[in-house]
Amino acid sequence: MNIFRRLLESRFFVLAVKEISQILRNKQLIFLLVFPPTVQLLIFGFALSPSVDHLKLGVMDYSNTPMSRELTAALTANRVFDVKSMSIDESDLSNQVRRGDITAGLIIPTDFNRSLRSENNPAEVQVLIDAVDANTAGIASGYATQIINQFGQRFTPEVTPPIQTEATILYNPGLVSSWFIVPGVIGLVLNLGSSLVSTAAVVREKDTGTLEQLLMTPAAEWEIILAKVVPLFVLLLGEVMLALSVAHFIFQVPFRGSLPMFLFFSGLYACVGIGVGFLLATISKTQQQAILTSFFINLPLIQLSGAIAPVESMPKFFQILSLANPLRHYVKIARGVLLKGNGLDVLYPEAIALFCFAIALLYISTSKFRSQLN
Amino acid sequence: MKRILAQCKKELAQFRRDRLTLALAFILPLMTLFIFGFAIRLEAKNITLIVQDFDRSNLSQSYTERLYATNQFTPVQWNGLDPVKDGLDRGITKAAVIIPPKFNADVIAGRTSTVQVLIDGTDVNNARVIKNSLQAFTTVFVRDQNLAQSQPKITPHIRLWFNPGRQESLYIVPGVFGLILAIYPSLLAALAMSREKEQGTILQTYASSISAAELLLGKCLAYFVVAMGQAFVVIGLGCIVWRLGFAGDPTPLLIGGALFLLASVMFGLFIGVRANNRSVAVQGVATAGFLLALLLSGFIYPLSNIPFPLSLISNIVPARYFIELSRDAFVRGTGWSGVWIAPVMLLVLTFALFNLSRRILGRMQLPG
Repeated sequence: MNIFRRLLESRFFVLAVKEISQILRNKQLIFLLVFPPTVQLLIFGFALSPSVDHLKLGVMDYSNTPMSRELTAALTANRVFDVKSMSIDESDLSNQVRRGDITAGLIIPTDFNRSLRSENNPAEVQVLIDAVDANTAGIASGYATQIINQFGQRFTPEVTPPIQTEATILYNPGLVSSWFIVPGVIGLVLNLGSSLVSTAAVVREKDTGTLEQLLMTPAAEWEIILAKVVPLFVLLLGEVMLALSVAHFIFQVPFRGSLPMFLFFSGLYACVGIGVGFLLATISKTQQQAILTSFFINLPLIQLSGAIAPVESMPKFFQILSLANPLRHYVKIARGVLLKGNGLDVLYPEAIALFCFAIALLYISTSKFRSQLN
Repeated sequence: MKRILAQCKKELAQFRRDRLTLALAFILPLMTLFIFGFAIRLEAKNITLIVQDFDRSNLSQSYTERLYATNQFTPVQWNGLDPVKDGLDRGITKAAVIIPPKFNADVIAGRTSTVQVLIDGTDVNNARVIKNSLQAFTTVFVRDQNLAQSQPKITPHIRLWFNPGRQESLYIVPGVFGLILAIYPSLLAALAMSREKEQGTILQTYASSISAAELLLGKCLAYFVVAMGQAFVVIGLGCIVWRLGFAGDPTPLLIGGALFLLASVMFGLFIGVRANNRSVAVQGVATAGFLLALLLSGFIYPLSNIPFPLSLISNIVPARYFIELSRDAFVRGTGWSGVWIAPVMLLVLTFALFNLSRRILGRMQLPG
């Protein structure tokens, strides 16, 4: 009881209450903490979809037999391709690919039916693929080959191939794309939220001159700083919970790991973000500078985090560089905990990295801030 | 006209005086160019793979060797208790291939032998690539080893157009141009507009005889000049570094590009007119600009992947049209017949943004 009372009467508590009421009164700040993350999660989750299906297919069927039509049907069966157009000649088809109207064009020759039934020479079909989008083209050509080969097997005597592969996909068996994107976006949201809000909290005080008033109070520096950090920290954890609920209820992203551990790591990352924000605010003279420099720092942090494009696909140099990016570690933790159900035994390298970042950034930023207070 | 030019000159002078903003106006786009241009690759090369060979026969060993010889997979070592499950859990390997005992014996006896493949599905795109290429590899292996009795009845000839080597930079870099030029010119314009409101200098313009349209056009002209500078630097350097050249008629890109820069600056001014201070303006540009240009423009994944209600929004995203133009100019090379709609849409969007901002500004102005 005594400790509780002392806390209530301490200067720290008074300052923290002031900070909280300042934040709560600031409609813009609350808006910033709630609206952008939700919208970001929704749009990222829905719009960034690497799944390749419903590709537009153009067909030029010179053969025009039940067999050739069946081949077309086989290609569209799994919704990988949708027939967009039937062409009258090859130049028409190739023009459609050229204009980008269709992604793939299938040309079935006149003697298709005959070659299928003959013993010696196989039937040949041509597939044109628009490879401007290298990734889609690769997957599309893979699918096309696979489907056409399977179709061809119908005409060979019943033999199962001597070696078969049986693929099992772990952690995300349905290959739902939002399961990949959403945990990354939680990291992104937390990063932006923490650095922007903490920058704003300090810069505004500088701009309006209330920082000097704070100095006149009898409070110690650490009390001023802690009173600034703690309410932000609590708010940011609220933001994480909000993001997690969106992930869970809207995208049905599984949560396989432990929630307390995840919140602990999120708290660590919030400290990293607050540290970055404070640092930005102390080194920049005006609000405009703070805003532009935060762009300068946050952009590469996000790009090299693996939230949008996987780190493994980056060139070696960027993979190594990204080790110095705290967000990369948080994103790995988020995916590990949510999708794989990883515990500390697996995630300890990332945990140690985040811990070091948090300590270093908080130390540097608070000592800078303190030297400004003096 | 004179007043528009005067406003433009004043704006440029103000922009030049602020050293840090000037520096960031050019450094930020370049930094984005290099990071995005180099680091965004969707398809993983050197996918880590563990092979657990329970057969240890000549056949299984040559299967393993050939698998690694495809250059798509790199072997990793992990000696845990359960190397496969543990390696996947820790992310040490992306996939594991388990060759069953009696692999060789089964194949020789004419029975089907099943190779187990476990794939880490966290990265959806690459999981699919890994699955397809392992299946394709096995088919090719069977054929090469003369294990299959029958010849394929259909041979598909697949021709990849425009980018036969499937270089991802050819897809990403023209898109990065669009992303950068959608964000940074708007950011600067939004800052300039909201600064006037924040510092109250806008009241002077309200009191003066300059009209809302003139004020907007002056600012727009100034930042259009800045945006042109950014475009030349970014596109020029991008073309040199990634060896991009015009694949066809460059005029759609030149005309459409200029319209796109206008649209981008107008978008910034529109946000600036709506916002009351700079941090709100920047938030607006950052959130709206980034979300729209990054996600709803077809920059990373094709536009056709965007689901229904969101796909409607993508129709009014200027970056989308510019990315179409830029990919056509640098990779496809179709020219006007393929992309004529893009400059038209950009013109319409610029007009719409200009009119919206003019109305909002005009409403706040004193009746003159």
